[in-house]
Formats: sequence, C-alpha cells, structure tokens
Amino acid sequence: MLKPRLGHENLGLGVGLRTVHFPHILEHQPEVDWFEIISENFMDSAGRPRHVLEQIADRYPVVMHGVSLSIGSTDPLNREYLKKLKTLAESINARWISDHVCWTGVAGRNTHDLLPIPYNENTLTHLVKRIRIVQDILERPLVLENPSSYLEFQDSTMSESEFVCRMAEEADCGLLLDVNNVYVSSVNHEFDPVKYIEMIPAERVVQCHLAGHTNCGTHLIDTHNGQVIDPVWNLFQLMHQRTGGVATLLEWDADIPPFPVVHAEVLKARKYMDENLPVRNQANLEETVTNPSSAAIPHPASFIVAEVE
Amino acid sequence: MSNESRNLDQLQRWMQTVISWPGGVEAGIDSEAAQSEIPLERSELETVVTASSRQTSLERMGIYANAYYARLLECLSEEYPALVSAMGKTAFGAFSMEYLQEFHPTSYTLCDLGAHFPQFLTEHKPPAEENEFNWTDFLIEIATLERVYSEVFDGPGIEQETLLTAEVLNSIQPEEWPEVTLKMAPCFRLMQFQFPVHEFISQARKGNSPQVPEQQLTCLAITRRNYIVRREVVSQAEYLLLSKLQQGLNVGDAITCLAESDLMEPEELGAKLHEWFKHWTTAAFFIDVSKQ
Ligand SMILES: [Fe+2]
Repeated sequence: MLKPRLGHENLGLGVGLRTVHFPHILEHQPEVDWFEIISENFMDSAGRPRHVLEQIADRYPVVMHGVSLSIGSTDPLNREYLKKLKTLAESINARWISDHVCWTGVAGRNTHDLLPIPYNENTLTHLVKRIRIVQDILERPLVLENPSSYLEFQDSTMSESEFVCRMAEEADCGLLLDVNNVYVSSVNHEFDPVKYIEMIPAERVVQCHLAGHTNCGTHLIDTHNGQVIDPVWNLFQLMHQRTGGVATLLEWDADIPPFPVVHAEVLKARKYMDENLPVRNQANLEETVTNPSSAAIPHPASFIVAEVE
Repeated sequence: MSNESRNLDQLQRWMQTVISWPGGVEAGIDSEAAQSEIPLERSELETVVTASSRQTSLERMGIYANAYYARLLECLSEEYPALVSAMGKTAFGAFSMEYLQEFHPTSYTLCDLGAHFPQFLTEHKPPAEENEFNWTDFLIEIATLERVYSEVFDGPGIEQETLLTAEVLNSIQPEEWPEVTLKMAPCFRLMQFQFPVHEFISQARKGNSPQVPEQQLTCLAITRRNYIVRREVVSQAEYLLLSKLQQGLNVGDAITCLAESDLMEPEELGAKLHEWFKHWTTAAFFIDVSKQ
C-alpha cells in the first residue's frame, strides 16, 4: 500500500517565489506555509537570487519546480543539469523536485516551452525509462506535472490521464496535479476534466498547482495571470476530496500583483477544503472571454533582471 | 503512416523546426528541414496534429509558433532594456529574430539566452563608414555593458568574503610594495567604451528615453557590493594601472607601465597613487594581496 502523497508532508498553501516579491518577503516574513522555486533560476546563481533563496529556505519549506528537464525528449538526459539540480536540492533542503510531462527541445536545443508528447505505448516506455534514470541520479522520486497543451497528436493512442496514471505507476514517481492545466487542456481538447481528476491515482499526488489562464475564445492559454476561476476551484475541491489534501501552490507569472494579493488568492483554497462538501455544479459557472484577440503567451520560466546601482 | 511507427525523435525534430520557423508554420512545414523528418503537404497536417472542433491543426500549431519567438524576444528585451530603447522595439525585434536563428537557445537556463547578443551585433556590423559618429558601435557597447551587468549580478561575488583591511595594507612595508601582486574580486570588471554608455543604460533602465550621448572615451570599473552591481568612471590612467594589476603584474611593474604611458606627469602620479589604492581597497576592487 502506498502512503498518501508517497509519504511526503502536506505543506499547506504555498506561493510560487518570484523576484518582484523578494523585498516584501524578506521585510515582512509573511505567514506563508511554503514556497516553490523555479529551479533553473537558482541552480547557477551566485548572486542575489541565491542569497535571497537561502534566507527564505531558512524560514520556510521550499520545493523545487523545474522547466528544463525535458523528460519526454529523445535527446540524452543532461547529467550535468541533474547533478546541479541535486546539489541545489540538498543545499536548500528541498522537500521534493518536480518538472513536467513534456519535452522542451531536441537536437541540443531548448525552446523554453513545455511541448506536448504523443501519448502511446512507445512514448510511455520512453518516459518511464528516463524517469527511472533521473530518480536514480537524484536519489529521490521525481514529481511530474501534467502540462497545459494546445494540440494533440494523431500518434496518441490513449488519453493524457491514462498516460499519466500508467507513467506514475510504472515509473513509481509522484504527480503534481495542476488543476488549472487539467481545465485548460480539457477545454482545448474537449474532454471531461472531472473524469481526468477521478482517474488520477490519488496517493501518488504529492502536490497541486492552481493558476489563472487566458480565454482566447477558441482555446485557453495557461498564462498564469489573474485569479483562479470557479470551474478550476471545483476541480481543486474534487482533487482535495480524493487525495485528502496535498501541498497546494498558486502560480502567478504575468501582471504579478503585490504579494498579499497573490497570497490571498491561494488562501481561498480553504473554502474548498471541507471534505464533506458536495462537488459544486459546474454548469452555471461560465468564465468570461477576457482576451479574445490577444497574443497570450505562456511563460514556463522567467528571466531575472540584473539590479544595477 | 501508422500511429506509433513514426518515431518520437522525428516528430520532435519536425515540431521544433516548424514552430521555430521564422516564416511561420506553413513555411515551416514546407521547409526542407521539416520535410526530411516528416514529408507532408500543408493540407495533410491533420495526419500529424489533430484539429479540435474550434481550431484547425494549423491554428493549434500556430499557438506554439507564436509563443516561441514572443517568449524569447521578451526575455531578451528584459536583459537588454537600454538596447531596446536605443534601437527601438521594431529594430530590436528584427535583430532578435535573426539572433535566435543564428544562436538557437540550447541552455537549460534563460540566463544564457542573450549571452551572444553583443557578439552577434559585432558580427553583423555594417562595413565601417568613415563618419565620426558610429551608431552600430554605440549599440554594440550598450549590449556589451548590459550583458556584463547580468554576468556580474548573478556570478560569483565577494559578499561572503573577508575583505582587505587597512591593517593588512599598513602591515606592508614601503619597500615591499613594488613586489606586491593583487587578487581582484571575481566580480570586478574593467571596461573601456567610446561612449558613456553607462549613463545611457541607467537612464533607459529608469524608464527615461535618454538622448544619444556624444562620443567620449569612457573607462568603467564594475563590481558588485551587497548583491547590487556598481559601476564607476575611472580615468584612463587608473584604467591602465588597474588593467595591469588585473593581468597579474606586480605593483611596481604596473606603475612603471603607467609612468611610461604619458597619461600623467610623474609628480601628479605620486600624489594620486595613495588616494587610488585607498579608494580601490574600500571599493573592494581587490580582495587580497600577496608578497612575492
Ligand atoms: Fe503548473
């Protein structure tokens, strides 16, 4: 029998650490349960980002979330990268290391995007093999997140949820269930997000992501801006009921408001954490098309701007 | 082609080529690079990427294609805000498109994305014209300094090091000084420019729209204190002396180089040396001394 969350702690309600919030966090030491960092922004840092991170890791539990592992790529795994990932995790006592079910580039390139893979037996074997290697190197289970995607391949022979379930079981890894991504992809690919959440092996879910997105009319884009919409909160509630509660984190990456606003948004999760509540009816909760013609761009990683006197 | 027989490697190489093709998705599909992975008529795209009830497969590929350059361009703009201000958004965008094709992003970190931008601008400099004001040189200098700022900001620093104290320096006997060599801080950089680009950059980063400055030889000493990048203008004489010390010459030889340079009168030099070394120590340009 697997332990809930693969034995990891439920860290509570956390916020994705972003550079614009550094001064606020250091000055006010807000009562946040935990922080998630973008691993690549700190792995090589010998400057202020790393210095701030060390102070934050002294005070709060920290989790590492990567965007460049490229577990689905056919390129060889980058061992140097994995070594640095492990070193950083050890030095800040990261509770776990996560990345995405995707590929980011091939032929030595990095598109800095989370690109979808076809879901079939071959790709499943490919991922499972690579996850096992990564877990051996990191000496800990990897936690993988379902990405938002904007296209599907003819080469797919199974649904994403089936793929993710089988991948987690066969590779014996953890899952980061991003309920906003489930929602975004469910609209884009016209599947039932509730069924998706119901299918996920609950005890393998180590963490949950919440975020806002942009409705472009014909499709949704995972822009990580704005508030979490009600249909996503409903999926969160379902996820909470199924898992019994996991470390939950809000991602806000574009038009980032002051820290207290971001924090308040994730605290709304408390409303949906009563296990006895029935799942709310989704039918009357239509989201608004906010940006029908905009060029909304998903931002998996952010660039840290130098501070000059 | 049956569903699983097309291998993942071909599919990934094809998709990466198509979404990063500068002429757009359709031209990308037609490109030789994409055709060599998956030979395909534009009308056959649905045999690779499915359509949804609201979007064609072409539109769906377009989402990734639009995001590719937009995202990378945004990162470059964040690293080079003064260059954007000097070139204008349109020209910067056009140069970035070229740059991203010549230097495909390969690193796991976005910190490396703009690393070759100064080099790229230098290599694409129009043939030299004999006019006094060289616009391209000005742009290259901005790019060079903005990149140095990034590297100094996130590179190794001296915040955790014990710095040189007056006591250590005072313990060196006057006759020992010529033999002394100095260890520069790892974040210390010496730069020479034809334009006062540091001022232009500071103004641009404050959100102002600075005027293009007059040409003026500018020597800068750059370092990092308390995790913030600091830069100060130094004289040509200081620049020469510091650069010799940075190369590892001992103090005596470095001063000889300066004395022979005609940049300063000998008596003036004698008076300045003490003042300079005092300031450079306080500014932590160097972090250790060694007597040979
Ligand atoms: Fe996420």
